[in-house]
Amino acid sequence: MNEERKKILDMLSQGKITAEEAERLISALSDPGETGSSVDVRLPKYLRVMVEPSPENKGGDRVNIRVPLKLIKAGLKLASFIPKDARTQVNDALHEKGINMDFDKIRPEDIDNLVAQLDDLTVDVEGKETVKVFCE
Amino acid sequence: MIPLLLQLRIKPKEHRGFSIWLPFFLFWLIVLPLILAAGPFVLLAALMMSKDGRGKIVLNGYKAIFVVIFCMSGLKVDVQAKDAVIFFNLI
Repeated sequence: MNEERKKILDMLSQGKITAEEAERLISALSDPGETGSSVDVRLPKYLRVMVEPSPENKGGDRVNIRVPLKLIKAGLKLASFIPKDARTQVNDALHEKGINMDFDKIRPEDIDNLVAQLDDLTVDVEGKETVKVFCE
Repeated sequence: MIPLLLQLRIKPKEHRGFSIWLPFFLFWLIVLPLILAAGPFVLLAALMMSKDGRGKIVLNGYKAIFVVIFCMSGLKVDVQAKDAVIFFNLI
């Protein structure tokens, strides 16, 4: 058994990865050329927000929004046009709510990183309504 | 890509509502030349404001208009509330 395969099986036994992930990793090891071409590296293009009523609340509102990630990125960059006074007010309001965020410190690189990380974002909230936020 | 078509559907409660496809490219045919024609004036304004540091903001704002226009394609909003249905899709 080679070293990489042993590591994958160790991670599986420790519960760090699921059986499906282990299978995918092992198949990638066994034929790197083939998997290299078949791995889906498609980047997400849209942020989806879906709100659906629960089965008990069939008359509830339904919302289905698809926003291009590029538009979000452009919108975030527009934050730099907010006048400094207004930015200070926003920062103060956020601090009052207990959110430690400083609009003045957001740089274009941070915005790029933020949008890139949205790929991994998945939010599922179930209550009276089911709310799903994800990228596709 | 620039959005070329707008699919719009509005249906208020107890009304028939309407559903239309708008040729958005016609809108751009009018608006884009206007935005481009404003370019030299924006540049002039930016030069005049460069002394107090606001010139860069003006130029970035002008650039942002194009960025937003070109990123709008694919935007879809579908809201089905109790009293109205609103749907729009930029294609």
